[in-house]
Amino acid sequence: MLMTCLTIVVMALMTYLTRIAGYLVFRNIEMGQRTRQVMEAAPGCVLIAVIAPHFATGRLADVLALAITIAVASRFPLLVTVLAGVASAGILRWLLPL
Amino acid sequence: MGTASDTPRGREVMRGLKNSVAMQIGFIPFALVLGAQAVQKGLHPAEVSLMTGLNFAGGSEFAAIALWTSPPHLLLIAAITLLINSRHVLMGAALAPFIRHLSKRKALAVLFFMCDESWAMALADARKRTATQGRQALSVPYYAGVSAGLYLSWVIFTTIGGLLGPIMGDVHALGFDMAFPAVFLVLIRGMWKGMRAAIPWGISLGVAILTYLFIPGSWYVASGACAGLLTAWLMAKESAPC
Repeated sequence: MLMTCLTIVVMALMTYLTRIAGYLVFRNIEMGQRTRQVMEAAPGCVLIAVIAPHFATGRLADVLALAITIAVASRFPLLVTVLAGVASAGILRWLLPL
Repeated sequence: MGTASDTPRGREVMRGLKNSVAMQIGFIPFALVLGAQAVQKGLHPAEVSLMTGLNFAGGSEFAAIALWTSPPHLLLIAAITLLINSRHVLMGAALAPFIRHLSKRKALAVLFFMCDESWAMALADARKRTATQGRQALSVPYYAGVSAGLYLSWVIFTTIGGLLGPIMGDVHALGFDMAFPAVFLVLIRGMWKGMRAAIPWGISLGVAILTYLFIPGSWYVASGACAGLLTAWLMAKESAPC
């Protein structure tokens, strides 16, 4: 309970730090090209690493559902993608129990 | 009868609220899923409100819940939060010229509510004003309207998700866990800038999968992200020696 609240507060501090850093640090100076490129790549690197286990479950149903979700995500908005992901995972796991 | 929406400031707030309605509705399903999953990972609904109210940063909240254990790994979650939200640094830097006229205190308050959506809308509006009025300044009441709508929608519906969580049953069998990768994939699509720029993401994914398969624990996030960042750093050196 205490650990949960502490973690949440630390998360919030980290988040707020990222929100104000750009304004505080870069309102007067220009960001280097290299820094900018690494920072642009960073969120994607983390997001994809977090979902990596979904790519490695070894279950056919999960792999197929993920492929469908990726295909839908490449052209449709968030809501459609989430519905397609959840529906395909639910149905495929039921059809292919292994 | 002077209602708030009769003043110019009130009209700007209403314009912001109205412009963000579609996004407020778009938040609802993810907010419900996030809240429900958080509760199933052991958070109390009040802790869900605390998290989404203090952070208001969906991507990192989804990641934190995906990695949540009891007790949570504080350092891992803090580091992941910092990395996922590192894009805010760029967003804040882009917004800086438009909030330069504000006092530092006001600017810091404005920045608390800066999320992907409010940032994009505020910047688009500020650029339009710069073009038509020649004044490079954010409309703070407009931004306040946008932010209030998005913030309330996010906090309220994540909390409702937390309250509904226990009666939703086994979310895994229903495929609800696929909501996480789905949200992440759409976020990544939004950052897409071509194949070359995506190479670090591919490296990150590959290294993360290998780590996940061969090393127990949550090291896959750190190793994947570090490999991706290193790749981005090396690629930047090649293309832009400065």
